[in-house]
Amino acid sequence: MKTPVKPALEESGDAMTRRRLLSWLSGFGLFGSLIITAFSNLIFIKPRATYGQPNRFSIGRPDDFPSGARVSLDERRVCIVRDGDKIAAISTTCTHLGCIVAVSETGFSCPCHGSRYDQDGNVTGGPAPRALPWFQITLAPNGEIEVDKDTEIEAGNYLRV
Amino acid sequence: MSNPTTSSSWKPLVVNIWRSIFRNPLPSSDLGRASTSFTNFFLHIHPVKVHRHSLKATYTLGLGLIAFFLFFILVVTGILLMFYYVPSTTQAYDRMLDLRGTVAFGIFLRNMHRWSAHGMVAVVFLHMCRVFLTGSYKPPREFNWVLGVLLLLVTLFLSFTGYLLPWDQLAFWAITVGTSIASYAPLVGKEMKFILLGDSTVGQEALLRFYVLHVAVLPAVLSLLVAIHFWRIRKDGGLSRPEEEDALPVPPAEVELVQAPAVVMATSPAAAAAAEPVLQKRNYGIQGLVRGPFTKVGNVPDRSVFAWPNLFMAELVVFLITVAGVLLVSLLFNAPLEEPVNIMHPPNPAKAPWYFLGLQEQVSYSAFWGGVGIPGIEVLLLLLVPYIDRKVAGVGRWFARERLLANFLFLTFVVVNVILIIIGTFFRGPNWEFVSPW
Repeated sequence: MKTPVKPALEESGDAMTRRRLLSWLSGFGLFGSLIITAFSNLIFIKPRATYGQPNRFSIGRPDDFPSGARVSLDERRVCIVRDGDKIAAISTTCTHLGCIVAVSETGFSCPCHGSRYDQDGNVTGGPAPRALPWFQITLAPNGEIEVDKDTEIEAGNYLRV
Repeated sequence: MSNPTTSSSWKPLVVNIWRSIFRNPLPSSDLGRASTSFTNFFLHIHPVKVHRHSLKATYTLGLGLIAFFLFFILVVTGILLMFYYVPSTTQAYDRMLDLRGTVAFGIFLRNMHRWSAHGMVAVVFLHMCRVFLTGSYKPPREFNWVLGVLLLLVTLFLSFTGYLLPWDQLAFWAITVGTSIASYAPLVGKEMKFILLGDSTVGQEALLRFYVLHVAVLPAVLSLLVAIHFWRIRKDGGLSRPEEEDALPVPPAEVELVQAPAVVMATSPAAAAAAEPVLQKRNYGIQGLVRGPFTKVGNVPDRSVFAWPNLFMAELVVFLITVAGVLLVSLLFNAPLEEPVNIMHPPNPAKAPWYFLGLQEQVSYSAFWGGVGIPGIEVLLLLLVPYIDRKVAGVGRWFARERLLANFLFLTFVVVNVILIIIGTFFRGPNWEFVSPW
């Protein structure tokens, strides 16, 4: 008489054997730790603090800018525009590829790829995809003007001083 | 007066040391030639035998080798320059001036580094053209083509990161423009730019990051890829060649004549009588399992020759020509150095290095399509070339008739990019307006 042989689990295709389960788990573990390592590295190289120019800064008193002035503060990458008692800060970073636009008679023009903007920063020519942004500008308690480059406002919103 | 006993007792020691370093004397037999290639660390990367077709200068133009030797020159000169360079916005430019003024051979090393870098970009690209126009990416060499495209990208990135390091006007504005292009990539563009620069604008953080990428990360990646690239040439059966090459009549067998071993001559007068050159029975073979399209040694009629000296002499000549070329250019022309960085005054026009001027020209029409969309598609197509074009005909010949369409498309791609570079270089003036160079 023959003893009936129990079919080995490995042979039945879909069954989850202990071996297969462990292989899957360790595979996931190894692959997972690889992904975690990659992400950790990415988090590591993304700086939490920057050491360059701060994005909020004060630019002096309103009287420093006479009416009709269009003063480009290149290091801050912002142009201070004053028209009567109205004052505003327009970005001078070209929206195309980040060159500093020069103040021209008709507005702004970019030396890198020839983008042109009007006095309010609207695109009038060249490859620039959008207008130069205007930045939030406030009067600090000490009477100085503060520009916040993290906050963009709608074009034409002047601060009255 | 030297004591003969002493000198004769020294001699075996010297011989011993010499033999322990160079296990093989200069080979005079095929067996020697084979084992020289086999036992020398620097030579064992090469096959023992190499196909005659692979040695034709008109077939390979030596471009892959030139690219590698330029990389070698770049590593050597780069490490030397590192002794004097400081990746700091306040010091970097001064160090450039020091290289010019005070460091011995400083200007010369910088010239060599700069011109080799330009040369490497050009030669890697030409090497790609050679491989395409001879159909050498066909099976089994598909993946090596993919590695080659990656090598081209790493080469460009190495050049780009090196471009910032002098911290002159050219460097600053080229990187400002270049990283802004990266920021147009969908979804990850802005983040990518920020991580690359370590800040929102190009500054100290960017200089440090580019430096680390340039001297450590990217050279390591490039070296690894080059190693795999070379290894796969061996495993894919050497350089591509037309199939009919293997069917050509084998040149008359070069019968190997060797002297009978001296021991035999001394001990047996009978053997001494037959001291004529004797035919040595070949009793060596390649170790290991050799499968597939490998260069075979000995057991089949083939048209291969020993790597020593045929291949090594060819490589030496290419190396010497490369070094001579770089030295000559570095003696004649100085690497450009513009004014120190002045954030207030972008040069007008601000131009990227020449190999990116085609890209910059495209970018002047549309930042996304010119800088990200079209280049992305081009790279993707290049990577997929061997998987799209799988017809195995016309491999191993320049401009094979069977490959007319593929070659035509590829040459169109090359010509369009060259024209864009020429326009960007010579026909663009202030505000990127069209100017005539005449």
